Amino acid sequence: MTVILILLCLFALLLIGVPVAFALGGLGLGMLIFGGFSPLMAPQAILSTLDGFILLAVPLFLLMSNILLKGGVGRDLFTAVQAWVGHWPGGLAVATILSCGLFAAISGSSVATAATIGTVAIPEMVNRGYGKRFVYGLLAAGGTLGILIPPSIPMIVFGFVAEESVIALFLAGIGPGLFLVTLFVIFAMLHARFAGGYTPVPAAQWGERLSATRRALPSLALAILIVAGLYSGAFTPTEAAAVGFAAALLITIFWLRTLTLSAFWEAVRESAITTAAILLIVAGAKVFGKAIALYRIPQDISAFIAANIEGPLIFILLVSAVLLLMGLVFEALSMILIMTPVLLPAAMGLGFDPIWFGIFMVIMVECALITPPVGLNLYVIQAVARVSLGEVARGVWPFLALMLVTVGVLYVWPDLALYIPFKW
Amino acid sequence: MTIITTISRIAGLFGACLMAATGAMLTYEVIARYFFVKPTIWAAELSQLCLIWGCLLAMAWVLSMRRHITVNAVTNLLPPAAQTVCVAVSLLVVIVFSGVAAVYGWEIFYDSFERGRTTGSLLNLPSWIAELSVPVGFALLAAQAVVELIGLRRKHLPSLGSSHE
Repeated sequence: MTVILILLCLFALLLIGVPVAFALGGLGLGMLIFGGFSPLMAPQAILSTLDGFILLAVPLFLLMSNILLKGGVGRDLFTAVQAWVGHWPGGLAVATILSCGLFAAISGSSVATAATIGTVAIPEMVNRGYGKRFVYGLLAAGGTLGILIPPSIPMIVFGFVAEESVIALFLAGIGPGLFLVTLFVIFAMLHARFAGGYTPVPAAQWGERLSATRRALPSLALAILIVAGLYSGAFTPTEAAAVGFAAALLITIFWLRTLTLSAFWEAVRESAITTAAILLIVAGAKVFGKAIALYRIPQDISAFIAANIEGPLIFILLVSAVLLLMGLVFEALSMILIMTPVLLPAAMGLGFDPIWFGIFMVIMVECALITPPVGLNLYVIQAVARVSLGEVARGVWPFLALMLVTVGVLYVWPDLALYIPFKW
Repeated sequence: MTIITTISRIAGLFGACLMAATGAMLTYEVIARYFFVKPTIWAAELSQLCLIWGCLLAMAWVLSMRRHITVNAVTNLLPPAAQTVCVAVSLLVVIVFSGVAAVYGWEIFYDSFERGRTTGSLLNLPSWIAELSVPVGFALLAAQAVVELIGLRRKHLPSLGSSHE
């Protein structure tokens, strides 16, 4: 009964438009006071959240990708990839997916990925006669790679809430990320083969390829440096983010010479706004999490799940359905923050690896990013391409199906995620 | 009224600089550890302090920019008058929450200040340096929310924030 009442209050606050951070924090604080617990716990929870060393990676990864973005790295990456694969069947589509995957490796956000690559790739593909729905769907879905391929802000947040290793999560995202890239590429080539209608791009000259690659190379090197540094244990995710930030400055100032002072200041401002917005939600969720733990709600839900749900498959199907439903109204981080403390204990009770569960959550949240009515990537592509939301949404279905296939494969073969961090 | 918005803005931009400064400190830390084999005792701790102050100082500014993450799926469908009611109620929730957080945050700060409590880490800084950010940040947020609430009488506001970051 209490559980239902609390959930109703939370949804009411969120749906009337109280910012997520203060809806969670406010309800948590109210529950503390109502339940006779010390309200001092609320400011303490906020302080202890923001004091987390791992969360420092959030502003730094944002600074890194914002600076690279202002330096025009998105366009450089797309041009370089296109020079190599543009003449393949469906070459521009393939180049788009690969650029999304590469950009994902230097950015932790799927919205940034969709917007950056979309701005360059959409006009190019539409001019070459690719079907519009296919193009919009491709970009909205390609953007979601941003949070699956490390670095990834949602994974940092999941790791923080679940108290699991962010490095392991980052490494576990690589396998499913590459798998998804492969599925998208195969689909794009088949689509081009059977739907046709586009004008192929002539193969680029070697000189063109080399000069395009030369511009994209430092960003690729940076992506490799981050993953290698994390894998070898040379630095923590936070330090990787700091090094990435410094390297992004060096690349855009000295190599590409594209970063102006005003663009730098803009990147600092944007990163600060996003960081404050994200970390305050994490802090609000911490207050809420404390309160529901004192009311023993996660235990109650775990017990309910253990008593009523038979077997891990049913559990995963049910959780997937709940997450897809929530995704109709909620955005990625709020879903992860609200559902992780509630679901993780039950998932671990059923024998799921917490890192595996994190990757599963991230992919499901990605699905939420491209399902209407609230799908951030849909909004982004709608804004970039200046078309209706419906048109973007109709193009997304095949890609959504491929993502659900990935979840299925991940369930049957957990090593798709767990091999790189634990067995390699 | 505008003076509070100006203070929020200055606080927010200062917070943004603090967050960027963490990048410099932690890069220096990595260089010092690998190239000079001489890790610092201050980089991690000071950068955490910068993050706490940076985030809490930026809260009010982010509110005035309408950039806090908000679920707009339902309010988008409402007529303007109902939207205004929703925004007003949301602002009241923000004011009450931040007011209470500021008061209790002040208690925590004052207690540490009186007793001279320290962090017990390598630098052993006084605990109140970090703790003061809570009352300061939330008081500013409450004040900014009051400004926004009063501003509602003159200007229609469909929602308090954007649905993504």
